Amino acid sequence: MPQLNEFSQHDRRFRMMSFQFVAGLVCAVAIAASTMVAEADEFRGSIDQRIKAGWKANNVKSAGPATDAEFLRRVYLDLHGVIPTREGAAAFLDDASPEKRSKLIDALLEHPRFAIHQADVWDLIYFTRNPPGYGTDKRKGFQKWLREQFENDVPYNEWVRSILRAEGNTVKDGSPMFYVMYKSQPEDAAEAITQKFLGIQLQCARCHDHPFEEWKQTDFYGFAGFLSRLRVVDVGTVDKEKAYAIGEMNTGDVLFTGPVTEQKRGQKGEPVKPKFLGSDPLVEPKLPEGVKDPRNFPNGKQPPTPHFSRKNALADWVTNADNPYFARAAANRIWGQLMGKGIVHPVDNLSPANPPSHPELLDELSNGLAAHNFDLKWLIREIVNSRVYQLSASGENTEAMPLWFERARYRPLSAEELFESWLLAGGYHDARKASGKEPEDRFNVRGFTWDYMRRFFGRPNDGMGNFQGGMQEHLYLNNGQIHQLISKDKGSLYDHLATSESLMEDRVERLFLQVLSRRPEAEETEKFVAHLSPEDDQRNQIHEAIWTLMSCSEFRFNH
Amino acid sequence: MNFNCPRNEHLNRRSLLKSSLATASGASLMNWGGLFGSDSHAAEASKKNKHCILIWLNGGCSQFETFDMKIGRPTGGLFRDISTNTGESRVCELMPNIAQRMDKLAVIRSMKTSQIDHSGGIYLMHTGYQATAAVRFPEIGAIVAKYCGDAESDLPNFVKISSNGNAGAGIIGPRYSPFSLDKDGRLPTFSESRLAPPIEARRHGLRDFMEERYAKVHKAEPAKMYRESYDRARRLQNVRQAFDVDSQWEKYREKYGNSKLGRRLMTARCLVESGVSFVEVGQSGYDTHADNFEGHKSLVPTMDIGWAALLDDLGERGLLQDTLVVWMGEIGRTPRINNRSGRDHYVRSWSTALAGGGVKGGLIYGESDEDGIDVKDKPVTEGDFFGTVYTALGIDPLEENYAGVRPIPLAPFGHSVVEAILA
Repeated sequence: MPQLNEFSQHDRRFRMMSFQFVAGLVCAVAIAASTMVAEADEFRGSIDQRIKAGWKANNVKSAGPATDAEFLRRVYLDLHGVIPTREGAAAFLDDASPEKRSKLIDALLEHPRFAIHQADVWDLIYFTRNPPGYGTDKRKGFQKWLREQFENDVPYNEWVRSILRAEGNTVKDGSPMFYVMYKSQPEDAAEAITQKFLGIQLQCARCHDHPFEEWKQTDFYGFAGFLSRLRVVDVGTVDKEKAYAIGEMNTGDVLFTGPVTEQKRGQKGEPVKPKFLGSDPLVEPKLPEGVKDPRNFPNGKQPPTPHFSRKNALADWVTNADNPYFARAAANRIWGQLMGKGIVHPVDNLSPANPPSHPELLDELSNGLAAHNFDLKWLIREIVNSRVYQLSASGENTEAMPLWFERARYRPLSAEELFESWLLAGGYHDARKASGKEPEDRFNVRGFTWDYMRRFFGRPNDGMGNFQGGMQEHLYLNNGQIHQLISKDKGSLYDHLATSESLMEDRVERLFLQVLSRRPEAEETEKFVAHLSPEDDQRNQIHEAIWTLMSCSEFRFNH
Repeated sequence: MNFNCPRNEHLNRRSLLKSSLATASGASLMNWGGLFGSDSHAAEASKKNKHCILIWLNGGCSQFETFDMKIGRPTGGLFRDISTNTGESRVCELMPNIAQRMDKLAVIRSMKTSQIDHSGGIYLMHTGYQATAAVRFPEIGAIVAKYCGDAESDLPNFVKISSNGNAGAGIIGPRYSPFSLDKDGRLPTFSESRLAPPIEARRHGLRDFMEERYAKVHKAEPAKMYRESYDRARRLQNVRQAFDVDSQWEKYREKYGNSKLGRRLMTARCLVESGVSFVEVGQSGYDTHADNFEGHKSLVPTMDIGWAALLDDLGERGLLQDTLVVWMGEIGRTPRINNRSGRDHYVRSWSTALAGGGVKGGLIYGESDEDGIDVKDKPVTEGDFFGTVYTALGIDPLEENYAGVRPIPLAPFGHSVVEAILA
């Protein structure tokens, strides 16, 4: 069994890593902070070494390094989900310090926007645009909770454990919302948990033993067995919102009727005991005599905890540092989030039939993540500080996500990223500030319909990272509400371009800095000065210039 | 408005180019030639000028209440059969209009497919393939758009009106992705530019300046797709009138049965006439797990009159010989009538129908057994079906597109084209 080998190899490697890490800690404490810096450099350096080795082995030519402006916009969008302010952009571009990139990265990682954006990303990974289950489309409690995990640097394994333990209710505690998607559907929950937290595609094994994958139907139902006793309980209204809790019965098993091809009508299934994936069956304490479950948990009150919680046993197993899938799936996902595609791609299919492009690198990233106590911020910091992340997006290669990471990837902005970046680009917030108004909710702008953004930009890729924007998004860009975001109020970009006393060249510079986070090139300055100068239709021409930069390819993609 | 004008008289990108050159105040234009793939096979099929209209019966129409009646059998149901204009075949009494046009139809009574639930069936009967995580198979509409569509047309080549299927263009790329009209067949929100043409051209000139500079340095595929889509959205403005069928509807309302479906079908005819290569029209409500007979009684007659009118209308305009009309849903329905007077999902033996360009009329192909439980003769799988449809449209079903390095034929490997149906 190949996966058994991988297990033991991984175990060995893991123990070595742990040892090195403990040793490293002792050193770090004993010697000085500078050692830490040296070690960190070593890690990001080894990322570069591994990727370079791939170029060499495959005779691939890499792109040159990204310019400061390329890096600036890219890292802002990846870490904060929004373009920099014009002041931020100018300050970075004018900074002559050689460490300005790593300094910027450190600053971005400690800014509140980091938590906001990362929570957006993971919330969508878990729930998608149209989550199954009743009430799951309104989940402020979950989103707030997830943001707090990032704000407080809670280790990844800990917050995943909270999701899977699902204690408390969906409004106050947030995390139970994950299971609400799979009410009375333990099989669906099993598919989602293995795919999203472990990078394992178990869905084929739901109906048959897969010919090319190691998973058997009994693995699938053994996994679902951990989840079959869960119930979604309506616990009433909390803080004016509907709240749910996850209850767990003391009895009940998943029934397995054998391969679908052999099923007969009216056939009764055999109960299947919970079994850890690719590992041992769950050892359960005997249920005390006389324990009887209610038919249902009553609404309006928190369900009691069971004598023994299978769900919690599963949560502990999934998130255990020894689980060979968990760290690997997370490390691969983070790599994919920043580098466009996973070392294993798609990121949620770590099957032996879908090998990694850089196996050693994936091992190092996942071991490193586990050794750093599942600190996602550490991993993100290392990746975005690498030279590979900081490659240019220009070159002859036409792939969106180059196979050997030899050039920066093209990623369409999400609906959230586009919208918030447009607000910043058009000076919407500046205008509100100038008029003394309070800032509005993130996606609630007067006269603007957020639902259209979801409809036209909600699924910019096909789930595998392939851009799938078509004609419809251009109908929106050309004729839709984007025009309402180009504020004409005092303090806005439009207002500045129209009324400033400064030279038109300087105004064009501000236009480019504010929308594209870079300074214009000479030809661009010339072109835009000419476009903005005529007075007969200046109002429209200013609007056109802002719209052009807000809707062009350079804005649409993170590259 | 004149709908009979040949499509080369409609505005196309050449005329748009000319107008842009005149009005874009000297802005340099993008390299259009590089934007369009010059796939020789696609070019060849385009010359054949074929079209396809798919009538999609969402939920799964019953074969027993349409083309494969089992009169006097326990599975037969409530309705009677009626004679048809071919003299041989008999169809359900709910379809008196189609009964008189059976000479135009090739009915397949021996469909045998592999996906029994809706989502799986909808994917299967739009792509010919079962959904997998590894390959994004394109829908039939995208394939017809690619191989039969005029890449230079200002009109989208794949139009959906109130129908299903979400596989889209898959691996063949967003250039062929569906353009969905609203449920009445009107252009969707934000389709209309409110800018005066010279203002729009000025704006376009500035944007084009930026795009061209970007394209010089950034060669990546997504940016190219984005430019192409912008171009298509812009060119749509030239042909907006093709979607305005109000006056036509006044004239043809009665003929098509004065229903929403009728209007969608007439819109499909208008679009084909304007040059669109694939239009899909949906009718929903066939998932009759309960009250199957009431359900079909309310749905089939509307469909019958609209479908018959479509065939007549295409025929009168000389379009039927180049337009394949496909009639199908994702699944058939069970022989057994359940205790709610319903029929459930069934794919062991069910029916589809083809008419028009590339296929014979007056033909019943295949046969189910006495009770409609299994195919008795000449089973047609999803692969065979798509292979046959593509062949009828002049497209080689073994033509390959690539998922990464893996070649994917248009119809799955191992299919056999049903030659007997082809004209």
